[in-house]
Amino acid sequence: MGQILQVPYPLPSLLNPHLHLVKSPLFFPAFPPLLTPLLLSRALSLSLQLLLHRAFFPLSPPHPKMLWVDKYRPRTLDKVIVHEEIAGNLKKLISEQDCPHLLFYGPPGSGKKTLIMALLKQMFGPGAEKVKLENKMWKIDAGTRKIELELTMLSSTHHVELNPSDAGFQDRYIVQEIIKEMARNRPIDTKGKKGYKVLVLNEVDKLSREAQHSLRRTMEKYSASCRLILCCNSSSKVTEAVRSRCLNIRVNAPTEEQIIKVLEFIGKKENLQLPPGFAARIAAQSNRSLRRAILSLETCRVQQYPFTANQAVLPMDWEQYVSEIASDIIMEQSPKRLFLVRGKIYELLVNCIPPEIILKKLLSELLKKLDSELKHEVCHWAAYYEHRMRLGQKAIFHIEAFVAKFMSIYKGFLIATFS
Amino acid sequence: MGKRRPVVVLSSSSSEEEGEALGGSATGGLESSRSRSRTAQPVSSKRPRVGSSKSRRVSSEASPELEVKFDLLSEDFCECRHEFRITPGFTCMDGIELWVDKHKPRSLPELAVHKKKVSENVMVMLMLFWQNPYSLFFISRMVEEVKKWMEERVKTPKEGFGNCALLITGQAGVGKSVCFCLFFAAVHVIASQLEAELCEWMTPTPTLWQEHIHNTNSEIRYMSKLDEFENFVEKIRKYSLLHPMKIGGSRKPVIVLIDDIPAAAGRVAFARLNKCLTSLTQSTQVPTVILITEYHKTESGDNATHYWEELVSSLERAGAYKVAFNPITVNSIRKTLSKICQEEKSHVTAEWIDQIAKASGGDIRHAITSLQYCCLKPDRFFSLPASTLSNSYGEMNSDKSNLLSNSSLEDGNPDCKISLPCGRDETLTVFHALGKFLHNKRVAVDPCALVAAVEQDSFPLQERFARNPLKMDTPEKVLSQAHGQVQPIVDFLHENVLDFISDDEVDNVWLVTSYLSDADCLLGGVLRPTKRQMIPEVYEVESVAQSFAASVAIRGVLFANSKPSPSRWHTIRRPRLWQVEQSSRHNKTLMLLERGETYNNSSLCSMSYIAAECRPTIKWLRARTLLDVHKHENHLHYPEGEEDNSDWLLMDKLKGSNSEESEEDDIEDW
Repeated sequence: MGQILQVPYPLPSLLNPHLHLVKSPLFFPAFPPLLTPLLLSRALSLSLQLLLHRAFFPLSPPHPKMLWVDKYRPRTLDKVIVHEEIAGNLKKLISEQDCPHLLFYGPPGSGKKTLIMALLKQMFGPGAEKVKLENKMWKIDAGTRKIELELTMLSSTHHVELNPSDAGFQDRYIVQEIIKEMARNRPIDTKGKKGYKVLVLNEVDKLSREAQHSLRRTMEKYSASCRLILCCNSSSKVTEAVRSRCLNIRVNAPTEEQIIKVLEFIGKKENLQLPPGFAARIAAQSNRSLRRAILSLETCRVQQYPFTANQAVLPMDWEQYVSEIASDIIMEQSPKRLFLVRGKIYELLVNCIPPEIILKKLLSELLKKLDSELKHEVCHWAAYYEHRMRLGQKAIFHIEAFVAKFMSIYKGFLIATFS
Repeated sequence: MGKRRPVVVLSSSSSEEEGEALGGSATGGLESSRSRSRTAQPVSSKRPRVGSSKSRRVSSEASPELEVKFDLLSEDFCECRHEFRITPGFTCMDGIELWVDKHKPRSLPELAVHKKKVSENVMVMLMLFWQNPYSLFFISRMVEEVKKWMEERVKTPKEGFGNCALLITGQAGVGKSVCFCLFFAAVHVIASQLEAELCEWMTPTPTLWQEHIHNTNSEIRYMSKLDEFENFVEKIRKYSLLHPMKIGGSRKPVIVLIDDIPAAAGRVAFARLNKCLTSLTQSTQVPTVILITEYHKTESGDNATHYWEELVSSLERAGAYKVAFNPITVNSIRKTLSKICQEEKSHVTAEWIDQIAKASGGDIRHAITSLQYCCLKPDRFFSLPASTLSNSYGEMNSDKSNLLSNSSLEDGNPDCKISLPCGRDETLTVFHALGKFLHNKRVAVDPCALVAAVEQDSFPLQERFARNPLKMDTPEKVLSQAHGQVQPIVDFLHENVLDFISDDEVDNVWLVTSYLSDADCLLGGVLRPTKRQMIPEVYEVESVAQSFAASVAIRGVLFANSKPSPSRWHTIRRPRLWQVEQSSRHNKTLMLLERGETYNNSSLCSMSYIAAECRPTIKWLRARTLLDVHKHENHLHYPEGEEDNSDWLLMDKLKGSNSEESEEDDIEDW
């Protein structure tokens, strides 16, 4: 099945049979964080961080029809098309009866969640797919006060999945409490041996420092009874301590060729005639996100079928809006214009578009129209304010500061060049 | 527990004279001090407002007979009177009197603090009550004539009185009540044989919770104070309870005084109060005087200020004549204080009097009390060098005073009370403070002088960093005067600052926004706080971080806006950010709910995925399949499917109503 993206570094645990004898995952050697040197550069870290989407799944819309994204998601490790090698390695890992904590990281739309779900199915059989969704109220006694938190979680008999960052800055309590509770009632497998439960934590990079620290401690304490599968976009935002306790699995963004392959596969299944070059254009616009590519294909299908070779691939509505904002900024640089831009950004925020994504998209739109002389500086400031956005509370302040800085740079440039 | 009768009658009839005598003997020690001040008008030295509390079970059926009974009850009256002095400024039991009362002006000419207003006031009142323009001469010399006219007036009261409501407004301690009472007394002096009555609404004592429970147990229905007030007004209006003509044969002119308007919280209560007073103003047959204390000039953070303004304006529309008292000038206060000093034979230096006068903020009552306090412990008080005092109240801020007020701010003690223990802290409204920050007024300094000054300071700055001195106190002090909370202040600055930057200064725009971004980082960096869940220790740290954030934001705005746009009228908008945050939270919970309901088959997906990819796609797909009509007119207005329509409309409505409500709520907070 086509090309496989190479796992960029050897996974010693999988290759070295001796290591498999070690039962506790804690004894796994700490893997060098993969991209660390690259991530040190701010601008680059931005590009990674900003691709904050995640997860590649289900969303059976209220519509009876499933989105193709869900319909054609590979359910087992054997059927994985894009990251075959990782899938194979994971399969081997499972067959050894024990598995270390895992940390999946990679850009959105690269297939992390698909891999995780397939992995769970591999581990527990079809039981892993029988899940129920519950909104659980956690009552936590935190010394001086009692905290009540509500969190949505998805659970089967074998695993629990949650987005701890939904709890905001109280995420650390969630992390501690849930793992404790899971350790309390661990399942017993068929042979009478005590089994372990798997906890899937999404968006680990959005966890606060405190939560990550408590995650570290609980990981050690309860390692006998539960395994963690962590999932995030950027491993640079996960503390060193957590990373070193996990097997790090980098899931690369699929190449355009891989995306084309998947699109053609879906086209065949749906009995569609893909004109030559059409899949390639969708892939090129998808920014190497497989999910995005499939969504685009589906919208194109609804928009016009049979496809024509030069059919436009529509961007998301908010993306169009951002590019409008970008042209607003380029056209005029003044306090009034900034005020107008602010209003537009507010509209995006009201619709829950994450501010990081807005900033990232805005940057890429601005870069398109920019003299290359300025690009470096503009990128620097975008990264700077993206970082500040994480430190602060109100994203708009920082986005606006970036826009103002851009205006200031751009105006200076215009004056220097043209007058 | 009987209900207290809310009508208090002050009478200047002869029976009242006895009361005065009685009261005088009860507070015997006063005589000497009084005699000093009441040379001109002996009768007016009587405290003009006397209260009475009658415990009566039935008051709802109060009829003119009550009034008649009243004279009979004058003995009780006298007994009660003593207690009731508390209202106009109380007298202590043992003949020790507060200076405020002791030195209360006893006559109109003595009321030096605002002569012009008084004469205007008196004139207006006379015009109102007796509808005679010649009453202008009342104060000066036409005593006889006025007297004659008044006698006539009282004997043959004209029907259709016209409008006879007078509205007196002014901030606390400018002497509204004193002034009115003096006037009343003065009238009384002239027309001593006329039996004029002052009828005053006395706010009933508030019911305590225990008391309330007790009452309910003993089956006495609770009646809100506002209800009682409404009843009172109704009675005056409809039944002309107090109308002179209705009282048997005695034709006493009655003046209704409403000094203590019942506290009304919230919009509905205020609307009731407003309606009640307005109708009173429109229809009253009896001269009515309403005193309203203006809060909005001084106090901030009071929700009700704009209600009061509303009240005043609607009363004016209803035809009340408004006399506004300005805060008393520093000079007048100074004069009064030194006069009191002379009388009390206490030696307070002029400098101190000056300071007290300045610190009083136009509130003479406060100034006199401060003076008395100072004289209590002159040693301690005067041992402090006056320079520290003047520093903390210095108008132009030297660096020293900056430091001083900074340090006091960090102590969490915003008022500079270190040196003057009894100063009245000046307060500002938040909007006033914001206006100061945003308008960024600076003293125009000759650049050469500036350079010279800089050289003196031996702290040379590059020209682009140098700014003219501010035309206000240090920003931190202004903020503390406004009782500003940090986060809202920063939000307000963020919302409004762009209007104040002139169009060409894009660099300044960046500078401002970068400072705001810094402030936000400071606010967000220390544990994201939720207000209710603060642990004390954490709170300390946060409050420091917060005050730093406030300083950074405010000073950033002041510094960065080096060339403000030419000053014109700007309205300060409420931060739109609040509304945005609210509706985004709302949308988010909706989306999460949706996620819970619909995507139950395999695993959880993140917010950003739903919002940025899934939702737009689904919307788009449905719009395409169901109705092909909507084009992307507004990109964020998702085209809706049929079934969805209702949902979205509902949501929009929800959003709309939410945001409206929140807007009002928030405005109330300010």
